[in-house]
Amino acid sequence: MKRLLRYAVIRILLTIPMLFILLSLVFFVLRVMPGDPVKAMLGAHAPPEVIEQKRQELGLDKPMGVQYVEYIGQLARFDLGDSMIYKQRVIQPIREKLPATLELAVVGMLFTLLFGIPLGAFSASKRRSARDLGIRLYGNVVYCIPVYWMGLMLQLIFGIWLGWLPVAGRTGGRVFPSLFERTGFYVIDTIITGNYAALGNVLTHLLLPSITLGIVLSGVFVRLTRANMLDILKSDYIIAGRARGLPERKLVYSHALKNALIPILTMMGLQFALLLANAVLTETTFSWPGMARLLLERIYLRDYPTVQGVIVIFALTVSLISLMVDLIYALIDPRVKY
Amino acid sequence: MKKALLILLLVFLAVGMLFVGCKPKEEAAEAAPAEEVQDTLVYATTDKISDMDPANAYDFHTWELFRNINVGLLRYKPGTTELIPGLASEYSANDAGDEFTFKLREGLKFSDGTPFNAEAVKWSIERVMNIAGDPSWLVTDFVDSVEAVDEYTVRFNLQGPVGFFPALVATVPYFPVNPEIFPADRWINDPSELEGGQISGMGPYKVVSFKRDEEVILEANTEFYGNAPAINRIVIRYYADATTMRLALENNEVDLVYKDLNPSDKVDLIANDAYNNYEIASSYIRYLCFETSESYFKDKRLRQAVAAMIDRQPLIDKVFLGQMEPLYSMVPKGMSWHTDDFKTELGDGNIELAESLLEEAGYSADNPFEFELWYTPSHYGDTEVDMAEVLREQMEKSDLLDVTVKSAEWSTYIDNWDTKTMPSFLLGWYPDYMDPDNYTAAFAGTSGSAGMGIYFSDPDWDALFKKEQTSVDQNVRAEVFKEIQMAWTDEVPTAPIFQGKLYIFTQPNVKGVVVGTDMVLHYDTLYFE
Repeated sequence: MKRLLRYAVIRILLTIPMLFILLSLVFFVLRVMPGDPVKAMLGAHAPPEVIEQKRQELGLDKPMGVQYVEYIGQLARFDLGDSMIYKQRVIQPIREKLPATLELAVVGMLFTLLFGIPLGAFSASKRRSARDLGIRLYGNVVYCIPVYWMGLMLQLIFGIWLGWLPVAGRTGGRVFPSLFERTGFYVIDTIITGNYAALGNVLTHLLLPSITLGIVLSGVFVRLTRANMLDILKSDYIIAGRARGLPERKLVYSHALKNALIPILTMMGLQFALLLANAVLTETTFSWPGMARLLLERIYLRDYPTVQGVIVIFALTVSLISLMVDLIYALIDPRVKY
Repeated sequence: MKKALLILLLVFLAVGMLFVGCKPKEEAAEAAPAEEVQDTLVYATTDKISDMDPANAYDFHTWELFRNINVGLLRYKPGTTELIPGLASEYSANDAGDEFTFKLREGLKFSDGTPFNAEAVKWSIERVMNIAGDPSWLVTDFVDSVEAVDEYTVRFNLQGPVGFFPALVATVPYFPVNPEIFPADRWINDPSELEGGQISGMGPYKVVSFKRDEEVILEANTEFYGNAPAINRIVIRYYADATTMRLALENNEVDLVYKDLNPSDKVDLIANDAYNNYEIASSYIRYLCFETSESYFKDKRLRQAVAAMIDRQPLIDKVFLGQMEPLYSMVPKGMSWHTDDFKTELGDGNIELAESLLEEAGYSADNPFEFELWYTPSHYGDTEVDMAEVLREQMEKSDLLDVTVKSAEWSTYIDNWDTKTMPSFLLGWYPDYMDPDNYTAAFAGTSGSAGMGIYFSDPDWDALFKKEQTSVDQNVRAEVFKEIQMAWTDEVPTAPIFQGKLYIFTQPNVKGVVVGTDMVLHYDTLYFE
């Protein structure tokens, strides 16, 4: 236990230099990009003296090095600062939007696993058959499809042609989140408040965007599961099980798949970062009010502190998920020692 | 060990939830509207709100919102350009035209019950002047001081005679704001920054919920002096993507869509009888600007040549599927004293004229005139890149022209005006006030032109602008604008391309859509059949 705790602490401490490098890169890239945030904020007609006054107020008249040191100092005090464009703390829109993105990401990951793992296991069990080929083709194709296009096609098919699902937003236009919003995770909030009509509405809105994310990433898990399963299906204990007359389905799905899941778990942590990257396009396509859309909009506005703040949160989230996955790995496989 | 791990994981999850999810109690306790109501219209748009403050808001959609939650001393009769009494029941001007006195309606209140009077008007105008936000020039360029003559009479003392001052008073920076809740020395972005956390106005609606880039919920304002709107609640939903917005309409998730759909989506929806569609002849214009002070476009022959090569109708057909109207003057059709001088003087796709001008300037097929054409990819919608490419194709029909198309995001684009990086660039214009002055002086007057990256300066033109701005005689103004429009075809600081048509699409049971050339959607005229 001590060893594991030490490992967890070391991983957490290693996050600090990682964040430092990432933020430094983002800090300097944002400031060398063309586009003046003060003019973007004040507009083209603002008098020069007003522009200059605003620049001083925001500290943008100071040398870049000084701005950088001040920003790092602020971060060391766990302060993400104030938005340059809107009079709000950076943490405020992040707090409002992060649950939307996490909710989408978690459900998206669930669909990824739901599509990817069973298909990969089935494909491995039917190796070199037409079904195996079909599933491998599916895996390659969905991974290549741009998530934006996938989203539009699902909207068209399920939203318009079939009329089964809504095409945008977290709730319908006639459902008011202010009635049930507590944590920002609408699925949880509607359950907590007992608002089951709204729960149904929230779940139907969540389906299409999360399936979009899920399908696109499932391709990776199809291939990974299949590869792992093929190895495991050659193992002695599987052969022994067959020799003893155990049903093939039980061998594949109860015995082999369990062991194949371990590397998949690791991949989940890595793919979470990709999920967040794809969230930018998914949130735009589905008008999902999450962090990725916030990031995009604030990049256009040159709102440096908010962009940096969002990236910090994304980096922390990916690190946390990655650490959790590694710890779960140790839970599942007693052979794993850190 | 496993227990310890589980505890560790649970701690991580709990910390994560706490950080992300817990809202301060006062937020969760905000007043909530009734759950599902019949009397609610969902209005979808891809536009965005900028600042919820008349002192700095300077974009079309935010102004539209303000025109529905607040009122000016004067306002436009819905669907027309006729000015009618607003918060003021009447007004008068002195003979010199530099003093305007407004008599306010008595007994009016802001939506939170704060009484409205002349002091509130004076305070609001002085606030705009002090804060010096983006649209403040609409006040500071014309107003010298404001007096509260008595409780319900306010007087504007102008810097000089202004023939179109009533039109200025109807603009959003002149809208009175509640002095009890707005800060005097800075503009606000969100209603949450105000005292009490809610914005109050005197329009037919009031804002009850505001979530930037997600939704704004409006309810009928019981303190409004006019007739109560037929629809009690308006929910404005903000979409990131025009195609998704179209799908939302087709999926009956929204009742009304305005600004802006892709041209192909508009064509499909117009052809579909399942939806009402309204075509609005708008006063929105698109044009090509030239940096006239330092770039190669210092030479007006080159500006004339490029302008002559623009072929408007084919561009409109190709990029906008015929949904716009060719424009031959910076003053749009439907506005007073509009002429089509660019058509008669320079024409469309006029290769002959363009090449004769270019040859005169020393260019040839072996030595073509090379220039950069800039556009901004997202500010004017997804069609911008196509528009720039079609223009390039049109220009390069002449062997004497070689065009390089470049782009920059909006914040960089306006930055480039100062650095004079863009020799020619595409822009669009929604009017601040319904007068030809707003379409001309802003681009070709010395100070306005510099602010737009054009840097055109001609004392004769400045004198003409001064003449029309200070004259209350409409015949004098008519003559000046005729002269300016003709002169524009010679100097070509900008080349007009087209005038916009806007479309509103609604579910079949939505009626009462009233939009004039000011393009403002009036929510209080809407009703369900």
